[in-house]
Amino acid sequence: MLPPTHVLLILLASCVAAVSLPAVARDSLKIVATTSDLRSLAEAVGGARVAASHIVPPVVDPEDYQPHPNDLRRLRDADMVVRVGLDFDLWLDQALAQSGNKAIAKGGPGYVDASLAIALLDVRGGGLGGGDGHAHGTGNPHYWLDPMNAEIITGHVLETLARIDPAGARDYDARRVAFLKRLREKLPEWEAQLAAARRRPLIVQHNTWSYFERRFRLQVAGTIELRPGVPAGPAHLAALLQQMRERSVAVIVRQPHEPERSARFLADRTGARIAVLAGSVQSVPQASDFIALFDYNVAALAAAFGK
Amino acid sequence: MSFSDAAAFLALPLAASLILVAIHAWFGLQVLARGVIFVDLALAQVAALGATVAFALGHPPQSAASMAWSLGFTLAGALVLAFTRSWSGRIPQEALIGILYVVAAAAGFLLIEQAPQGAEHVKQLLTGNIVTVGAAELKSIMPLYAAVGALAWGLRSKLAHRAGAHWAWELLFYAAFGVVVTSSVAIAGVLLVFSFLIIPAAIGVLWAERPAMQLALGWLAGVLASIAGLLISFRFNLPTGATMVCAFGAVLVLAGIASPLRTGPLRGLGRAARMARALLAAALALSGLWLIAAPRADQPLLDGAEYLFPSLRWSYMTGAEREIHEDAKLQAERYRHETDRLNERERRSRWEDRNMDETELRRLSSFLKSYNEMRKGEEFVMREVRARARVRERWPLGGAMLLAALLIVPGLFSRLRPAALRAALRARGYRNPPGGAS
Repeated sequence: MLPPTHVLLILLASCVAAVSLPAVARDSLKIVATTSDLRSLAEAVGGARVAASHIVPPVVDPEDYQPHPNDLRRLRDADMVVRVGLDFDLWLDQALAQSGNKAIAKGGPGYVDASLAIALLDVRGGGLGGGDGHAHGTGNPHYWLDPMNAEIITGHVLETLARIDPAGARDYDARRVAFLKRLREKLPEWEAQLAAARRRPLIVQHNTWSYFERRFRLQVAGTIELRPGVPAGPAHLAALLQQMRERSVAVIVRQPHEPERSARFLADRTGARIAVLAGSVQSVPQASDFIALFDYNVAALAAAFGK
Repeated sequence: MSFSDAAAFLALPLAASLILVAIHAWFGLQVLARGVIFVDLALAQVAALGATVAFALGHPPQSAASMAWSLGFTLAGALVLAFTRSWSGRIPQEALIGILYVVAAAAGFLLIEQAPQGAEHVKQLLTGNIVTVGAAELKSIMPLYAAVGALAWGLRSKLAHRAGAHWAWELLFYAAFGVVVTSSVAIAGVLLVFSFLIIPAAIGVLWAERPAMQLALGWLAGVLASIAGLLISFRFNLPTGATMVCAFGAVLVLAGIASPLRTGPLRGLGRAARMARALLAAALALSGLWLIAAPRADQPLLDGAEYLFPSLRWSYMTGAEREIHEDAKLQAERYRHETDRLNERERRSRWEDRNMDETELRRLSSFLKSYNEMRKGEEFVMREVRARARVRERWPLGGAMLLAALLIVPGLFSRLRPAALRAALRARGYRNPPGGAS
C-alpha cells in the first residue's frame, strides 16, 4: 500500500521512479542474482560476508523482465552474478554487456550459471514445441523448485565464492553444509505433509512445477496455458474439463502473477480448488526464504488436497 | 468432441458476443462518425489506471472503492474527450486520444512497478477472454447495457454526431461509452472489443446510407462473424479472442470485395473477377521471376502451394530425389515420435512406481538432445533436396509460372477472341451505351 501523496507524485511525474539502493557495507562481497530464489541460496552460503540482492521482483514473470537503469548500476558494482540460465533470464546477457563489468562477464571469475550440472526435465529441441511445452528447447528452467537441486546450485555458489574470496572459503563451506543439513531434515517433513497428495491428479496453469512434481511424486494431469502468454483455446479447455471430471481432479495450481480467468473457469465448472503456490521466494509474503518457500507451498498444496 | 458438446461449451461465449455486438455496433457508428477510432482503447486504459490507483492506495481489486476509482477516471477521461473536441481544428482529436492512451498506460505501468503484488488483477481489466465468460458476469452487465441501450435509443438524435453539438451531450456520450467499454474489455479483451466496435459499423457504413439500415447490417455482420470465429476457434483449438478478431477482419474483407455488387450486380462481379485475375497473374509472374533469380530462397507462393498439395513437389523432383526426401521425412517423424515417447516415459515416472534417478535423467536428456539434432539433420536434408531440385528446374518451373500468368492476366489474350474484340470496340466508342462507364 502506498500513501496517497506517493501515488500522486508518480502520476504527475510519470517518468521518474524514485529508486533507492539498499545500504551495503563496504567490505562485503556484492552478489547480484537474477531471481529471489538464487539470492536466497547465495545468502545461505555467503552469510554475513556477502551482500546479496536480486533483480527481478518475485511477482513479475522473470522471462518478460526488462532491466532498469538501476540494475545496470548494481551489475557494474557487483563482484559476482548468479543466473538461472536455460534461456530463462536471457535479458541478463545484454545487461552484463552494458554494465561493462569484466569480473562477472560470461566466463569471468564471478559469473555463475546455476543450471550447470542440473539433471533437466522436459528437454525438447529448440522450437519443437511438442504440445505441453515451455517456450524453451533446452529444458524446463524452474529447477530450483526441486529443493534438492539446491545442493548443485549452492555448490556453484560455493566454488565461485571460494575463488573470489579465498579467505572466507572455510566459512562458506561450513555454512553450505549446515544449510544442506537443514534442507535434508526438512525434506521428509514435506514429503509426509504431501503424502495425501501423492499420485492424485492436479492441473497447473503453466509447466512451472515439473521439478516440484517429480520430487514430491505429484501427478500433473494437464497444463492450462500451453505457451506462455497465449490464452488456452476452447477445445483445450473443453478437453481439460472432461479430463478433470473423468479423473476427479481436485486442485488447480497457479502462481500469484499468473492470470486467474481460465483457472477460475475450470474450477467453477468442476468444483476443483485453486491453490496459489509461490513459484519463487517472496512471491507470497510467507515464502520469505528458500526453505520457507517450500514450507509455504507444501502447506498450501496439502491444504488444497486436504479432506 | 461432438457438436452438442461444442454447443454447450460455446453457448455462453456466443451469448456474450451477441450482447457485445448489439451495443458496440451502435457505439461504433457514432465513433466512426466522430472520427475517434481508438477512443475505446484510451477509455479502457484510463479505467484500468483508475483501478491501479485504487489498488496502490490499498483497496482490494473488484471492491466498491476500486470500481468507484475506475468509474471516476473514466468520467474524467470522458470530460477530457468532450472538451477537447473544440481543439480539433488545430490538433486532430485522434492525436489527443493516442496521447491519453499512452500516458494512461505508462502511468499505470509505473504504479504497478511500485506495488506489484496483485498487479495481475489490474491487468485482467484489459485482458478478458471471451471463452471463459461466466453466467454471473453476463448477468451483471445486462442491466447496465439495457440502460445504456435505452438511453441511446431515447436520445438518439441528441447523441448522434452533429457539428456544434452541446458539450453536455458529448460528455454523456463519452461517459456512457466509457462505462460500456470498461466492462466489455474485462470480458472480451482489448482487441476483440475494438473489433466489435469498429468492424460491424464499418460494414454497415459501407453497404447502407440510412443509420437504421447501417445498424441492422452491422448487427448481421457481427453475429455472422462471431459465430464463425467461435466455431473455427473451437474446431482448430485456437485462442478464441484472436480467432474472432480475424473472423471479423475476414467478414469485412468479404463485404468490401462484394461492395461493388451494391450498384450493379453483374458489372460489379465482372470487375471483381478481373481484379482477382490481375492480382493472381501478378503474384504468379513475380513468383516465377523470383524462382529463376533466387531458387534457394523462400518461395512464398510455391512453398504455400506445396504445403497445401505436397504432391506438387514430385512435378520437379526426380525419382531419386523423391526417395531421399520421403525417407528423410519418415526418419524425422520417427525421431519426433521417439522424443515424445521418452518425454512421456519420464513424465509418468514422476508419480508412478519409481522416480528416475539423476543419472537416468541425464541419459534421457542426452538421448532427447541427439534425437532432436538428428531430426533437424533430416529436415535439413529435406530442404536441401528440394532446393537442389528447384535450382535445376528453375527455368522450366519459373517459365511455366510466367506463362500461366500471361494466360490469366485479363485483357491480353482475350483481345484476340472475336467476341472480346467486339466488346473492346464497343467500349472504345462504337455504339457506346448512354451512361455506361468504361
